[in-house]
Order: sequence, then structure tokens, then C-alpha cells
Amino acid sequence: MSEEQENPQENQPINLNKSETPAGNTGNTGFATPPPFQQAPPFGQFGGGMGHQNLPNATAALVLGIIAIPACCFYGIFGLIFGIIAWILGAGDMKKYELNPTFYTESSYKNAKAGKICGMIATILSLVFIVLVILVIMGAITHPAAYDEFFKGIH
Amino acid sequence: MVAQSSFFDWLNHHLFTCPFKAHFGIDCPGCGFQRSVIALLKGNFLESLKLYPATIPFLFVIIFMLVHLRYDFKFGAQIIKITVATIAVIILINYIYKIYTHQLII
Repeated sequence: MSEEQENPQENQPINLNKSETPAGNTGNTGFATPPPFQQAPPFGQFGGGMGHQNLPNATAALVLGIIAIPACCFYGIFGLIFGIIAWILGAGDMKKYELNPTFYTESSYKNAKAGKICGMIATILSLVFIVLVILVIMGAITHPAAYDEFFKGIH
Repeated sequence: MVAQSSFFDWLNHHLFTCPFKAHFGIDCPGCGFQRSVIALLKGNFLESLKLYPATIPFLFVIIFMLVHLRYDFKFGAQIIKITVATIAVIILINYIYKIYTHQLII
């Protein structure tokens, strides 16, 4: 019984697709050659491939870009690593989207862009902190008295 | 109440030590974040803001990012960008203020 019930369900979408494609061709008689990727969507699972695939690293770039902001407190090293990874992933996905804008969703492009910008901000913040660490070490070595005065407020 | 206070006591004694502070005796730009989160868990917003002003926007952006990745808001990416830039500015201003007022060593 279950097989008999499943069979018509499986056949119906196939029949619909077969009936749709000739109708689409007859409707588009004005166009000599319609683009082939519109008729054969590569991702039929989601009901048609046009702009329905997310960019592969957009979410990772966004998450890393945001995590990199507080990660800058460990000498700035983790913030720098996460920030640069988010920057690279975001920029790579932006390039992918610009090469083939119809293939990917626009929201994932925005996410990749946001991840890239967050990564840039985190990288700059971490670099500022690393420069500060170097300055503090140099100051502590060369001018201990001035270092104490500046940071501890001892006069 | 006893269980709650003992939980916060336990939390206060099991914070991660900042390596920068341990070596140089100076706060790093991220110092105060954990104390600020604990203050926020206790429901003390003002103390949380005093300890580390970037905590509330940071927690907001984390939660907003998770919701945005699930439900895909139209201006979600824009809001995340602006909030992260604001957090970076808050962290920088807070750190410069701490240096200026000699609060780095407590």
C-alpha cells in the first residue's frame, strides 16, 4: 500500500516539469536561444537554481570577523589571525559573487561583505594593540621612570 | 539565593587571567570584559557599563548575528557592520580614557 501511495507522489512532479518545459518554450518564441542554465537548474532540491545558493564562506567570515574583536586582548595575536582569516574569506567570496552574480544569493554576498569589513576593523584594532605592546616593552626597558609615571601616575 | 551567590563567587574566582596584565601589570584593551559580564548576569547594568562599556553592544551583536544567520534580515549585515565599528570605537575610547585617568593599574 505504501509503495502505491508513494508512486503517484513521485510521478506528479516529474509530469509537471515535463508539462512546464514545453509551455515555457512556446511562451518564449520571441527568444531564439534561451540561456541553458535557466532550464536546467543545478540545485533542483531548493526549487530552482537561480541565486539560491549561499556563498560558501560568508557565514564563516561573518562569525570570525565578530569573534576577532574580543580576541584582540590576548596580545592581539588571536584577533590578528581571526581578523585576517575573516578578511580573506570575505574578500574571496565577494570576488566569487562578482564573477557569477546570478548564481549566489545577495544576502550571503552582504554577509561576506560585512565579514570582510569586521575582519578589517579587528585587524586594525589588533595591530594598534600590538604596536602598543611593543611601545610599552620598549618604554619599560629604556625609560623605567617615565613608564611608571605615565601608567601608574606616580609623581 | 545562597546557591546563586556561591555560583557568582565561584565564577569570580575562576576568571581567565589576562596574560598581558600578568606580565606587565597593565590592563589590556579587553580587560574588564569578564567582570562586566558577571555584573550583567547579576543584573547590574551600570556597573557593567563602568567596568567595560563594550560588553552590552558586543553581546547584542553576537545574539543579533545568530538570529540574522537564521532568519536573514534585509539590513542585518549593515546593522552588524555599524555595531562592530561602534564597538571598536568604544574599546579604543575606553582604553585611551583609562590611560589618561591612570586607571590601568587597580
